[in-house]
Amino acid sequence: MSDSRRQVLDMLAAGQITVEEADRLIAAIEDRPAPAAATGLAERPATAPRYLRVIVNAVDDDEGPIRVNVRAPLQLLRAGVRLASLIPPQAQDEVNAALRQHGVGFDLSQIKPENLDELIDHLGDLTVDVDGEPNLNVRVFCE
Amino acid sequence: MIPLAAVIAVRPGGSSSDRRLWIPVPLFLVWLLALPFLVLALPIFFIACLASRVNPFRALWVLWQLLCALRKTHVSVEDRETSILVHIF
Repeated sequence: MSDSRRQVLDMLAAGQITVEEADRLIAAIEDRPAPAAATGLAERPATAPRYLRVIVNAVDDDEGPIRVNVRAPLQLLRAGVRLASLIPPQAQDEVNAALRQHGVGFDLSQIKPENLDELIDHLGDLTVDVDGEPNLNVRVFCE
Repeated sequence: MIPLAAVIAVRPGGSSSDRRLWIPVPLFLVWLLALPFLVLALPIFFIACLASRVNPFRALWVLWQLLCALRKTHVSVEDRETSILVHIF
């Protein structure tokens, strides 16, 4: 029996939590993956994501339901960032100024090919759900 | 490897059925046809790169990578009446 489960049962026995609360806590503990040290397995990296998915579901008053489904290889993103690194310095300054005008404080010269892999690795954990408007649902994630 | 084929599926607006018109696009033929023009445009490309102080070989390599990365791209847009799907192989 794990320490967490024993702790929940102790709290239940002491009357600090109800049976329903204990049930929920134990369920949450079971959903959580066991730590690598406890299972004796070395931590393995998850499968690297290969695609960026953008799914848009919207309902337009005139057009009815609209669905957009885009699957772009992350390799394309890599190539795109490399392309951005080819932008001449004077053009980069103009792009940065335009970005700043629109409230995006981003410096294109900071994008370096050596930072790419790190950036794309972190994209693997990316999930963006937008439910702002009543008839619009946007989902961006990597798979 | 650059993409060699693509498929475009269209369901035109106003059609009563759900059937789509599938249009295969042999991209390899497009590349073959474009090749002479690309070769002719190469000196202009080199001059433009040098004028803007960009390494032309690096630019070519990046463009090639961009082209290669287009493989397995999938885009579909549909509403109640119309739909279009593009898949690059």
